[in-house]
Amino acid sequence: MIQAVLADDEVLARQKLRQLLREFPEIEVAGEGATASETIALVRATKPDLLFLDVRMPDMDGFDVVGELSAAGAPVMPSIIFTTAYDRYALRAFEIHAVDYLLKPFTLERFRSATQRALDHIRVSKQNPNANAPKSPNGTPYTTRIVFKSKGRILFLPVTEICWIGAEENYVRICTQSETHLLRETMTHLEEKLDPNIFLRVHRSSIVNLQYVKEVRPEIDGEYGVHLLNGQKIPMSRTYRSKIKNWLER
Amino acid sequence: MRFWNEEHVMLSVLLLAWGAQFFIWGVLCWVLWWTLRSRIYSANLKTILTLFLPLSLFASVLEETIWVILFPRLPMGRPPMPFWQRLSFHLDAELIDSLVLFWSAFFLFRGVGYYQRYREKERIASQLQSQLVQAQMRALRMQLNPHFLFNTMNGISSLMQTDIAAADLMLEQLSRLLRITLHRGEAQFIPLSDEMEFIEMYLAMQDRRFAGRVQQQMNVDPHVHDAIVPTMILQPIVENAYAHGLSRLSSNGLLSIDASSQGSVLRLKVTNTGIGLRVAAQKAASNGVGLVNVQDRLRMHYGDDHSFSISELEDGLVQVVLTLPLRFAERPIEQTTGYGA
Repeated sequence: MIQAVLADDEVLARQKLRQLLREFPEIEVAGEGATASETIALVRATKPDLLFLDVRMPDMDGFDVVGELSAAGAPVMPSIIFTTAYDRYALRAFEIHAVDYLLKPFTLERFRSATQRALDHIRVSKQNPNANAPKSPNGTPYTTRIVFKSKGRILFLPVTEICWIGAEENYVRICTQSETHLLRETMTHLEEKLDPNIFLRVHRSSIVNLQYVKEVRPEIDGEYGVHLLNGQKIPMSRTYRSKIKNWLER
Repeated sequence: MRFWNEEHVMLSVLLLAWGAQFFIWGVLCWVLWWTLRSRIYSANLKTILTLFLPLSLFASVLEETIWVILFPRLPMGRPPMPFWQRLSFHLDAELIDSLVLFWSAFFLFRGVGYYQRYREKERIASQLQSQLVQAQMRALRMQLNPHFLFNTMNGISSLMQTDIAAADLMLEQLSRLLRITLHRGEAQFIPLSDEMEFIEMYLAMQDRRFAGRVQQQMNVDPHVHDAIVPTMILQPIVENAYAHGLSRLSSNGLLSIDASSQGSVLRLKVTNTGIGLRVAAQKAASNGVGLVNVQDRLRMHYGDDHSFSISELEDGLVQVVLTLPLRFAERPIEQTTGYGA
């Protein structure tokens, strides 16, 4: 059973969370906090696995709660999902390794994916507390998530959800199964951040996630094309073909 | 030899005395500037007669007194004289000159004051002008928003009866749109990519309302993602395309938005199928405040440096084309991407 604490100063917001959590029978609500100090006391007492945390609360803000909890040397920090109407704390939330950042009002769908992600996260860390992310040549681990603003909301996108990435001048377009997002970023920078065992540059202006590749086959004009599981076709350039060959032969 | 030497000394003393005189006047004028500047600007005839006329005499006498103390050997070529006699001798010779100097300074300062006040007035006038334009902009933009807001809320309200999840989704999308709008605040210009993001959201909501009746296409040349455009310049056009064209079709609607550059010109094109311009104009008494607003805003921002045209290509196909100067933001665009575990 997974214990969760709900922290929000508005009773209606807590009610909504409680209602939505009914969908997850494995989650039990251990308590509700209406202020930051109440929440801190509650977390210390119940040691939950999951904390739904509002940013703006009457006495202190959500980050103070996190600071207080980690300063007191809490043995295990709960996984945190922020729920807030403000979008300006997203990067900060990301930096303290929050699982997700829900902008109010959020849909059931959005809540579901955040909670599911938190559950996966909790499960993994319980099984294997010292799991290490693969490291890049300069020693920093490859990114497993990217945070950005897109279309009026905040996304903590796990890189595993990215199907492919295309370059558009000074931007890159990140394509997932269901959506595309335009980010102000360069291909080179992004490529450095991504694990080369999962992401492969197949063209000057495209990177594909190998998990979503169905096949690579020659086209009529002699060039090769990468076909994705969802039917999209991405051209592949000669210079990068040797790389994919190496990968295929592993 | 001795004579020459005497001559030399005399010349240097004369030069020194002359310099000292101007230096003392300089100091006096400086004091005048710092202490009485504002009185000089505002002085009327009465103040001039009661304050500055006595002051001019006083300053002249003061200057002469200091000068006489500094140079006891002058005037040369005369038997030594006591202090008072020397003072009266010099005053006799130079009082008029001194007064002229004082009053020249007085009127110069007064002139500078007038000039400064004139510049200040000009600055305030231009500020007012820009405030006025901004207020007009705000008013125009407000006309765009509620229209759309209420339609959407109505949509949510109707969805609530039938499909709660869809109502929820639409409410969330509306919040996202409002969030973007609030974020922009008073920004008059935004990158085209931001405007297109907004349009995408808007189209997603319209798509829900029109449930697959309209096929949407967007082609933005990557080169112009960063081009800056007036905030909310496309939305009214797209809204218009729906209101007067696409909404009257029961199926096979097509909406396409194209952005490209031609030399130094940014070209935005919105094409939609519908019932044609003439029929639409007959059905709707006013062809949208939106389009008029768009034209007004373009005129305010670009003067004659833009074009706006609305035309009917073939039966029912209506096309709006905007061209604006292609400009890019001077400052780099905010970066909010983060990486990590």
